[in-house]
Amino acid sequence: MRARRRHPPEATSGLPDYLPEHLQAQREPAPPDELRLVLAPLAFERGVRLLRGAGARFITLLLAELPQPSLLAALALRGDLVVLRAPTGGAQPVRYGSIGAQWPAARWAEQELVEREGVAPIGFEADRRLTLPDADLIDRRLAGLDVFALPYGPVRSGVFEAIQFLIETGGENMPALQTRPFFKHRGMESRFAGLTPDAAVCVAERVAGIASVAYACAFSHAVERALGVAPSASAERWRAVHAELERIACHLDVIAKQAETTALSVGQARFQILKEQVMRMRARLSGSRFARGVICPGGVRCDGAVELDELLATVDALERDLRRDRRLFTATASMTDRLIGSGRVPRTLVEEYSAVGPLARGSGVSTDARHERPYGDYQRLGVRVVTWPEGDAMARINVRFGELVESLRLLRGSIDQLRRQNGELCAPLPRSRSGSAFGWVEAPQGELVIWVEIRRGILGNVHIASPSLRNWALFDHAFPKDVLTDFAFIEHSFGLTPAGADR
Amino acid sequence: MLAWIARGLRQGTVTTAYPRRPEPAPRGYRGTVEVLAQRGRAPDELAALCPTGAIAVDGAGRVSVDRGRCILCGACVAAAPDRFAFAARHETAARSRAALVVPEGTDDELEPLSQTLAEQARALRRSIHVRHIDCGSDGAEEWEIQALWNPYYDIQRLGFFLTAAPRHADILLVTGPVTRAMREPLERTWEVMPAPKALIAVGTDACSGGLSGSGPLSAGGVDAVLPVDVYVAGSPPSPIAIMHALLLATGRLRPEVAT
Repeated sequence: MRARRRHPPEATSGLPDYLPEHLQAQREPAPPDELRLVLAPLAFERGVRLLRGAGARFITLLLAELPQPSLLAALALRGDLVVLRAPTGGAQPVRYGSIGAQWPAARWAEQELVEREGVAPIGFEADRRLTLPDADLIDRRLAGLDVFALPYGPVRSGVFEAIQFLIETGGENMPALQTRPFFKHRGMESRFAGLTPDAAVCVAERVAGIASVAYACAFSHAVERALGVAPSASAERWRAVHAELERIACHLDVIAKQAETTALSVGQARFQILKEQVMRMRARLSGSRFARGVICPGGVRCDGAVELDELLATVDALERDLRRDRRLFTATASMTDRLIGSGRVPRTLVEEYSAVGPLARGSGVSTDARHERPYGDYQRLGVRVVTWPEGDAMARINVRFGELVESLRLLRGSIDQLRRQNGELCAPLPRSRSGSAFGWVEAPQGELVIWVEIRRGILGNVHIASPSLRNWALFDHAFPKDVLTDFAFIEHSFGLTPAGADR
Repeated sequence: MLAWIARGLRQGTVTTAYPRRPEPAPRGYRGTVEVLAQRGRAPDELAALCPTGAIAVDGAGRVSVDRGRCILCGACVAAAPDRFAFAARHETAARSRAALVVPEGTDDELEPLSQTLAEQARALRRSIHVRHIDCGSDGAEEWEIQALWNPYYDIQRLGFFLTAAPRHADILLVTGPVTRAMREPLERTWEVMPAPKALIAVGTDACSGGLSGSGPLSAGGVDAVLPVDVYVAGSPPSPIAIMHALLLATGRLRPEVAT
């Protein structure tokens, strides 16, 4: 990634003026676009609170080992990744003022740390275990004889990933819902430790399979930023090509599932055909239907058997078909009637939970990592963020339709440049360097952030802040006026993946 | 609605003719890892190339690859191109775990394991109901299973239907290494399925645990929990590979296709 110096080097001692005045923190050197501030553990909660007041969006909370044992909070503020770091000095357990008690966005991240790492935030209260769910536990939130609790999952009807929802209903409306992730927890983050970054990218690709490229890119960016390596412009263009094809496949999948729930069979078939065409193009480009094995730290491994002209022709054909199918889809009343007004998520809720991706953009919150902190080829391409204000399932589908068109435009931009110049694809990584950094991408589900630590060329802690987990925290509140039969529409309109959330 | 019908008709037929005609994989497709003709004694270090321990070197210096463990990452192909290569093929299913080990493994049990199921399939005029359960996959396997019912693969033409009720199901497709929280739901789902029934482990994770291996979080594959009838290697296996497995499980492949 080419460094965009938004803070001149001489400013490293001072703090940007958008930070709250009373934030008593020391700035320390960090990779570009990352603003690292050090403060004491007991001032940690206050620091996060002040940043929240200044308009920051919560990303994640983690325990880091490098550069020294610390508690880290990552927040997005004004196009920067603000990292608050509180050195713990090896204290056990780590004590600090609870963040999740005040800020719903931080609740699940904090609870994971409590249950897995044994941190002890002051003022934190958990109501049930998050990370090792019990499928038979029915902990009702509502009392009353006319309300019954309905556990839905982890064995779902149809071919869906495992997750459980505890629905409390009087028959039609759903006054309470609990989302229970972590049935699929495989310990993927710990699988990175001890590997070299080159060997570990296959782990990143298998955290959330439908977003393999996004995970591999975010991981590679983090490694490159930690080690101070910059991939070539051609490599970044290939990454953008694969990432946009992945986004197109994911969005088409959501739209096809939405058509399936309304029994719009031809519509479903149409979008499935388009998706399969994209998957086949990806298989021909990379040898894998999910473009696995392409992205690597330092660049891409690409010996695609496809001519760029042919790829361009596929993009053109896709755009032509998509335009017609979209027009039909949005004009089919039996479809739109079910989506308009369903699962309305107000903007205030999105901000409170720091939701990301098409979910946030469907509620009018313009957040997109490709635009906020542009990386790779997006710095040159410039991304037009698609937002819709309504906050309902229809708005989230409209956001996806808009992003499909935008992705096709970005694809053209990257392919055009590749036709002119297709240079060196993979820069070697320094073998014995150490470092730590965050890397990020806009995955199809939303902003994905990965923290990596490298000690003399070997990976240590890796932490994944997946968009799916962050957005699912909000799902409990997505049914203000909806009934049981709207459930599938609203779930599909979120378009999340349990594999990414559970890791 | 008429506009949709017109739109659908304009597309024409896209459905594959598999298994009547073979479905070639695109050039360069990473379907399986092959061991190239053994050239001399292989060094023991070859085994260390694989992140999931799929490569073994025996006492005589012969190399083998366990496709049930292979996640197709390509580390071995990149490091030792004289010994390993990707093969562009879809059909990766086998009726026994041992048959996934190449070059030694052979799937020579000509009698299908689920003979009773094949008989039932004939009785039901080829109507087989399939149920899926996710036990910790990475999500890609679900996409490939869903794809079987899209117009390109349209597995309903072969008489396979998706069912939501395990009591209605003849075949259970299991994905993922079986995580701790999913072990009991899996056992319960299998228990309520009426006999005769078959279980297909879909993907390398389900065959052996894949990257998760076996440990406190993962059982290390479905066969650590329940008997498996057909294994489908691949990370993830392609829709054709899963179709191949379904046909194998019901004894419906002609021998020349089942090579």
